[in-house]
Amino acid sequence: MLIWLGVTLLYPLVSSAALSLENVRIIGSAGRFVGLANYLSVLSSAAFWLALERSVVWVAGNAVAQTVLAMASALILEQAFPGVRVARTWIVLTWIVPTIVIVIVWRWLLSTSGGMINPFLIELGVIRRPMGFFSSSVSAMTTLILINSWRWFPFVAVMLLAGLQRIPGELYEAAAIDGASRFARFRRITLPLLQPTLFVLLVIGTLLSFNVFDIVWLLTGGGPADATTTLPILIYRTAFKGYRLSEAAAMSVIATLLLMGLAILAVRTLAPREEVR
Amino acid sequence: MRRGPAVNLALAIGLVVLALIVLLPFWWVMSSSIKATNEIVSSQPTMVPHSFTLEHFQKLLGASDFPRFLLNSVVVSLASMAITVALAVLSGYAFFRLRFPGRDFLYRAILLAYAFPGIVVLVPLYGMMSAAGLIDNPFALVIVNVTFAVPFAIWMMRAFLAAVPIEIEEAARLDGASRLTILRRIVLPLIAPGVASVAIFAFVASWTEYLFASVLIQSDAHKTIPVGLAGIIGQYQVDWGLMLAGATITTLPVIALFAFIGRYFVAGLTAGAIK
Repeated sequence: MLIWLGVTLLYPLVSSAALSLENVRIIGSAGRFVGLANYLSVLSSAAFWLALERSVVWVAGNAVAQTVLAMASALILEQAFPGVRVARTWIVLTWIVPTIVIVIVWRWLLSTSGGMINPFLIELGVIRRPMGFFSSSVSAMTTLILINSWRWFPFVAVMLLAGLQRIPGELYEAAAIDGASRFARFRRITLPLLQPTLFVLLVIGTLLSFNVFDIVWLLTGGGPADATTTLPILIYRTAFKGYRLSEAAAMSVIATLLLMGLAILAVRTLAPREEVR
Repeated sequence: MRRGPAVNLALAIGLVVLALIVLLPFWWVMSSSIKATNEIVSSQPTMVPHSFTLEHFQKLLGASDFPRFLLNSVVVSLASMAITVALAVLSGYAFFRLRFPGRDFLYRAILLAYAFPGIVVLVPLYGMMSAAGLIDNPFALVIVNVTFAVPFAIWMMRAFLAAVPIEIEEAARLDGASRLTILRRIVLPLIAPGVASVAIFAFVASWTEYLFASVLIQSDAHKTIPVGLAGIIGQYQVDWGLMLAGATITTLPVIALFAFIGRYFVAGLTAGAIK
């Protein structure tokens, strides 16, 4: 198993680093050692920095939307009522269906011919006439973030729920006897005790959302006018559409270092105390 | 703790909203896949089909490459599932029961590998596969799928293994059973739900995989559903009926699997996570 992971993850990383120092354009063709030239050209290209910026927006937007949705769902699912077991299982449905299905579902729901969302929003009075959700840059990014969050929040909710269930019920009872309101109990008991779970989810969630490629690629292809070209999209395009493999490898290396650095930094500085001990 | 009627009402509303958010989009798509085309694209969308037709399914299964994609997906997913389960059981057991130097470090490294961005190894993996002559070979997909499923699978496995009382194993050892016998005869039956959740996870992960499949597979003959369907989207002048039928058929196997072992799957998901 370890050998397997070594060959399929570690070796590519190393060879990626090697590739990034050469000037290979198409896979299979030989490269010449060019030192850090690829890094210089990547770091000095506006496209790279813009993509990185969009990735930051993407990760942050997803983190906020998913945390809010997931926390609300977890609090609901924690309560005992008929059917809650079924709900706890089936909530992850959005997470287990293939991305291509998610893409078809939302492309159709949001489409201007036959889609459900436009008539619904018009009915509500939010918009006057059908809008193209992927046609302006802000709405394209927002829509993508919401769709991706819709897909991932159940997963986060289930994790949070497991964290919630580990908080001893006696704590709440004692607080209730002391006259603490529901909100006070949530803020003083739930949140602090949930911190370790939240922290792990934040770190893993950041890495996972950064990584999201297919849903963006299939819904917008990075458009309109690059407005949703996050770093993974840029790497993919550079390697397989622009045939500049070495440059894509350099970007991959930079992204890896950045993510690793962030993860390590987070664990060192932000980790809840209990975990350090 | 007792709840007042106001809280109960809020809870009920919250639950209904949650159910609608998750289920409504699927209902729309599945129910619409049997609508006639003019009803699908009508500007007055219908919640419940007014018309009934199977023409989209007939077209999808009869006149497109979809059946072949479906078969490829099934083969690749089953193979990835089998290898992942075998690896996860063996290495999960090793991680949990055996002591060896660097165990904790390796365990953490594996956790990290789960969240590892696939995109950053895409380019070099492509190079490796092309050097090994595995481009356009379904086996390449199996290798990649296993790589990305195994870390999480081990993570899930560990929680189930923790629930196996060590005393049983020790008793068996005293009776002269070897490690492998213990694993096969005693541990495996006890962690069957864990094996089921790992299996469903591995199956679903490769059933869904798009990125690597889009790069490593080139000919239509070897494409899996995610890439194949994406191709059909581009190929036809957006034929929504066909798309919705495709989405429905792709979702059904996952739902069927989930109906049987979904409960264990979610249990495994959370048991592994909160540690």
